[in-house]
Amino acid sequence: MNLNSFLLMRHELILIAVVLLYLASEIIGGGKNKRFSLNFAVVLFLAVTIIGFLPISTGTMFGGMYQTSPAIILMKNILNAGAFIVFLQVVSWLKKEENDNRIMEFFILIVSTLIGMNYMISAGDFLMFYLGLELATIPMAALAAYQVYNLKSAEAGIKLLLLAALSSGIMLFGISMLYGASESLYFTDLIRTMEMNSMTVLALVFIFSGLAFKISIVPFHFWTADVYEGAPMSVTSYMSVISKASAAFVLMSLLFTVFAQLKEIWTPILYITSVLTMTLGNLFAIRQRNIKRFMAFSSIAQAGFIFLGIISGTQMGMSTVIYFLAIYIFSNLAVFGVAGAIYNQTGKELIDDYAGLYKTNPALTLVMTFGLFSLAGIPPIAGFFGKFFLFTAAMESGFLWLTVIAVLNTIISLYYYLLIVKAMYITPNESPIAFFRSDFYMKMGLILATIGILVIGFIGGIHHYIYNLSFGIL
Amino acid sequence: MEQYVFYILAAIILVFSFLTVTSRMILRAAVYLLFVLIATSGIYFMLNYNFLAAVQLTVYAGGIAVLIVFSVLLTSQLNEKMEQVSLTKALAGGLIAFAGALLTILTIVQYNFRPNGLPELEPSPREIGHAMLNYGDNGYVLPFEVISVLLLAAMVGAIIIAKRPAKLLNEDRTIIDTSYPSDKNAYTSRTKAEIDSLLK
Repeated sequence: MNLNSFLLMRHELILIAVVLLYLASEIIGGGKNKRFSLNFAVVLFLAVTIIGFLPISTGTMFGGMYQTSPAIILMKNILNAGAFIVFLQVVSWLKKEENDNRIMEFFILIVSTLIGMNYMISAGDFLMFYLGLELATIPMAALAAYQVYNLKSAEAGIKLLLLAALSSGIMLFGISMLYGASESLYFTDLIRTMEMNSMTVLALVFIFSGLAFKISIVPFHFWTADVYEGAPMSVTSYMSVISKASAAFVLMSLLFTVFAQLKEIWTPILYITSVLTMTLGNLFAIRQRNIKRFMAFSSIAQAGFIFLGIISGTQMGMSTVIYFLAIYIFSNLAVFGVAGAIYNQTGKELIDDYAGLYKTNPALTLVMTFGLFSLAGIPPIAGFFGKFFLFTAAMESGFLWLTVIAVLNTIISLYYYLLIVKAMYITPNESPIAFFRSDFYMKMGLILATIGILVIGFIGGIHHYIYNLSFGIL
Repeated sequence: MEQYVFYILAAIILVFSFLTVTSRMILRAAVYLLFVLIATSGIYFMLNYNFLAAVQLTVYAGGIAVLIVFSVLLTSQLNEKMEQVSLTKALAGGLIAFAGALLTILTIVQYNFRPNGLPELEPSPREIGHAMLNYGDNGYVLPFEVISVLLLAAMVGAIIIAKRPAKLLNEDRTIIDTSYPSDKNAYTSRTKAEIDSLLK
């Protein structure tokens, strides 16, 4: 191994360097200059995001423990871009007096989780996979409890930590069974020796449960609404997009590679959980009054749609999942960005408070509308193409009824997404949220999210590009 | 002879694990857990995993258990009993645990484990050290390093949770300073309304 091959790990190395730079700036500056800290954190991360897109070769390292492929690198870049938008949107909240002595820590923790996700995506054996997962989860619990003096936030932190520990335990048990069955933790060995027997099937179920918890698939979703509601808005936004997208990607690549031989076991599992997730997520979303809880159930429902692409097992399915995840990240960030801007300004987070928003804040309303339309899948916005390709992939593999259920669920989801749009544009309100200006970073964050939604939808080449990078079960 | 030792250790582990999760006094639960950890290291000794057994004793029985006892002492009222679990909950939980255990035990027992063809590894500290810093096949330097990032992140996270919010710290310095250490709970015993009013 020489320096050149070491640089295969560029994404992770740069992120670790960023954590150390953040720490160093805090030690040297003492965190006294709030403005400097915020600018430094955001600008540095912009550089990281841009460097991520520079060309990089792929390969394996550390005896196969670490691997990259074009699809993995694309996913890392999508995660970086999403995290960057979260950074832009969080600045105005971190400026508040209550967060004075804890600004840099926020960025350090977020970047730490990002390192974990990158290692998890790139893992070539179950040990690295598990470590990446923990690195992505434990700092997340601290972030959820960021406003620890707020009881709900503290509760969110402890809930996330305890349930994540339980799901990790179950998953570790599954991994140890796999190790017992095939004497190795390396994916390449496992792919070679994997055969269907009761041991590997049980291992699959346990490992699936652990990841399903992270993606908040029904029936592993009970933590989602409470944690999303209690955690600060930006943390919720980060958790609902980046965390979920990385776990969904990993689940997909595990099923397609390590567990490819067990396809006839995991297909019905995915089928049932997908139907449950879409339907229950949608039905519960209708009842929510709080925007964070609403988005929690909306994100549960969206996770069910992701399974449509995975279940197909084809290259089309896999590329569409990545495509859909990218769209989902930008759409959710647009909605959460607006909700965060309003919360920072007024402290309001109920859907009823948004009534009449169009009259006072047309620009914010427009961004929110784009985000919601994209989540609902209204043409010609990106979300439509994401869902359309997912349905196509599932249909091509012969899952007719699953697709029908998914389409029905899309219609239900249209109803509740439009409830918010209706509130903003039509519902009369005598005292709507007054007009306010967001700061530069927040504006940029919202603009970037909107551009993301529009560009991914309108430039047809993007899906084709991902298609050429990805692989399916052959 | 060895068989009897195994049965004794297994019995200790089973009984004390059960007591750990059923005890309503949290400090007692922590002490029961300590016995479980010590007995587990005994099983490692039986398997000739001397290094792992030593690690189990020093890190888990020595370190973690003491850490748990300390955090229990720092955070909770000792003579406070945990809430009594209702009968239906206990039954449902017990049933699920029993079904899960039955399923996994049956799976493991009926599975035909094959010995792998690899040469037996001498579990000496020397071999373990080599594997830990090896970057080739079956080397563990990458996970070893990633764990250090995890520890760093966990420490930053712990600091975030332990830190008082800036506003409380500044406005309230007098209260905190004079009340410490006689009233350690000055901050935690505040109601939410009081904290909110301070933050405003």
